Amino acid sequence: MSLFTAISISASGMEAQRSRAEVITENLANADTTRTPEGGPYKRKDTVFTTAPVSWSFSDALSEASGQTLSGQSLGVTVSDISIDDRDPERRYIPGHPDADADGYVAFPRVDPAEEMVDLMSASRGYQANVAAISAVKDMIARSIDLFR
Amino acid sequence: MTLDRTGLQLGNFMSYLVERQQVIASNIANVDTPGYQTRDVAMPIDFASAIEDAAISIVEAPNLPSRNDGNNVSIDREARLLAENTMKFNLSAQLIRGELKNIRSAIEEGRLS
Amino acid sequence: MNLTPVIKPFIVSGSNGISGPATSGTGFSDIFNSAVNQVEGAQETAKSAAMDLLADGKGDVHNVALATQRAELSLELFQQVRNKFVSAYQEIMKMPM
Repeated sequence: MSLFTAISISASGMEAQRSRAEVITENLANADTTRTPEGGPYKRKDTVFTTAPVSWSFSDALSEASGQTLSGQSLGVTVSDISIDDRDPERRYIPGHPDADADGYVAFPRVDPAEEMVDLMSASRGYQANVAAISAVKDMIARSIDLFR
Repeated sequence: MTLDRTGLQLGNFMSYLVERQQVIASNIANVDTPGYQTRDVAMPIDFASAIEDAAISIVEAPNLPSRNDGNNVSIDREARLLAENTMKFNLSAQLIRGELKNIRSAIEEGRLS
Repeated sequence: MNLTPVIKPFIVSGSNGISGPATSGTGFSDIFNSAVNQVEGAQETAKSAAMDLLADGKGDVHNVALATQRAELSLELFQQVRNKFVSAYQEIMKMPM
């Protein structure tokens, strides 16, 4: 119901995009990981975004804790799940590789660096847009406080 | 001698802009949320109403194309609205300051000297 | 903030017929009382708006600022009007009778 809630909403957006960027960089770092402690190649991950109400004031937090739902107005976002890509791994024919199977094929993660980079850029843009929103709201709050003079 | 209605219309307009700001923030935060539909605030017809917090309704923004994941947020639209909203808010605040200054002058002009 | 002590010395009533508790609402003291109530009301509105925002996060900063300014202006206006009445009263009292 106020500019401060808007800041909380944008902050949730920043948090979600940051989380998404972390997961993407983990995918990129493990693009060629053929061996994991669980056995088999690295399985890439995706973040799942869902809307989530945000609260900024004490009374909001209190009603949220007691189970009442907040008004539908303050919709932020959250990473509700980090899903694991369970597709079959990519198989490449490298007979001399230490992780090659009996037929000479090595199982590689299904990480397409180009795709991950595009995703990373999108996360970066999303993050920056939220930062711009917070900056605009800070300005509005400052102008409101100026009205006291 | 009642000054209750000083800056009333501008104040109500600013409240509407604050609501809109919140919705814009939601749209931007959810730019990558699958299935999310862009929201907006219905423009109230009467800013002169003395009822503060008169019900401001949130509606779905029409005519926005959806992408593959069902999300129809256009970051360009939101960026434009963000700039517009902030500008209108600042202008309104400035106008209120002018109004308050005028009233103060009018009161002080009657001062005994 | 109780403003009654501020204007009480200037409430005239009694035999010169300017005002009295039993007369209609347009007497001198009635006008002053109504004005005081309005100023106090404006102060109360501003104070509760500010507390709502600070303690509960309810409301917007610009509305609290407006409420505060309205209270200040009400008080200023009241003071100017009171000063005018005081000086007019003093002028009258100076007249030789």
